[in-house]
Amino acid sequence: MTTEVPDPNRVLVIDDEESIHKLIAARLRAEGITVTGELDGVRGIARAITESPDLILLDVGLPSLDGFQVCRKLKEHPATRNIPIIFLTGDTTMDAKVRGLDMGAVDYVTKPFEQAELRARVRAGLRTKRLQDILERQSFLDGLTGLWNRPYLDQRLDSELNLAQRYGRPLGLMMADIDHFKNVNDTHGHLFGDIVLQGVAEELRSCARRSDIVARYGGEEFAVLLTDTPLSAGTFVGERLRVSVENRLFEFEDEPVAVTASFGLACTENLTGEVTREALIEAADRALFTSKDAGRNCIHICDGDRIVSVSGNESLFRSG
Amino acid sequence: MDPIRSVFEDDPDMIDIVREFVAGFPERMTTLEESLAKSDLAQLQSLAHQLKGAGGGYGFMQITEAAALVEAAAKDGSDLPMIKEKLGQLFEILRAVVVPEES
Repeated sequence: MTTEVPDPNRVLVIDDEESIHKLIAARLRAEGITVTGELDGVRGIARAITESPDLILLDVGLPSLDGFQVCRKLKEHPATRNIPIIFLTGDTTMDAKVRGLDMGAVDYVTKPFEQAELRARVRAGLRTKRLQDILERQSFLDGLTGLWNRPYLDQRLDSELNLAQRYGRPLGLMMADIDHFKNVNDTHGHLFGDIVLQGVAEELRSCARRSDIVARYGGEEFAVLLTDTPLSAGTFVGERLRVSVENRLFEFEDEPVAVTASFGLACTENLTGEVTREALIEAADRALFTSKDAGRNCIHICDGDRIVSVSGNESLFRSG
Repeated sequence: MDPIRSVFEDDPDMIDIVREFVAGFPERMTTLEESLAKSDLAQLQSLAHQLKGAGGGYGFMQITEAAALVEAAAKDGSDLPMIKEKLGQLFEILRAVVVPEES
């Protein structure tokens, strides 16, 4: 799983003069910036929505829909609202500049532009975008563990369900819950509890596959979204996670503290009834509760109406 | 008039698009003339505006300055001989532009 923010470097130029597109592309190429262009506002808005560029250079004097109108529409649309806009203007009056900035543009460049100035203003605009990207990413991360948080999981679960159904692929969801976590907190204090949460999170993240989405679901509960994964493969992943948590060494005042987790796995292929986010979570939860009832530190899967034990404290997988 | 050269003609990032820009001058001049013949001052103004914005970026500040005068005259719109005169000066500049041969 990747939580890094890539460097923003895609610029969209909306200007009715094609020679301006070419000029900007030539001037920004050395910065590693890719430039696409549209000659009018309507197409420009459409492209901004589909491609979500990192920065828009917008001509004020466009035919039909002028630059200010285009700016307003971009700022109204949820998909383009946060893309920084720099106005390109041949108009050097104070009025036009102020109007553009008031409409939410981050900057303006007067045509004809000096290349050093263009580059510097574009760089500044992209820095703004990068900070926004980081903030957006932060808002989807769990502060304590660095895993994805619940809002991100909910959103991602919806989009992965759509993809899974469209392409007829299985989507697995594993719920994991640290065993007797309240005891850990009560016995060793909340600071140690935090260390356990972080340690378990690290095991889950490092032992999951790259394509898996590992999230803190809340409290001491975690969720792992397994894309393109049937129950059989998900079981193997789960067993690896369970063993890695069990083998993780936690120490409190130089004394080892045993930490384990219980797991429940469900897959879209094995649900009865309609496949929804709620149904998948409910099925994985049911399997998890069965693991708790069965003595913890084990995995159960939800296969249709049945909950089946697959590994762990009474497992076929465990030898010796 | 002395030959006019782009200040970027030695810039390898720029020379190809400078050539392309210059190759488009005859077509621009035709359209400008047509707008004047039709007395379509709005179009004339917009075409001059585009040249004004692009010229300097391609290293031809003289084009930006001359096109700005055409734009202003067309915007005012009252004095047709004045527009013609300014357009003539712009054309002289466009015709004086030279670019290095492709090697």
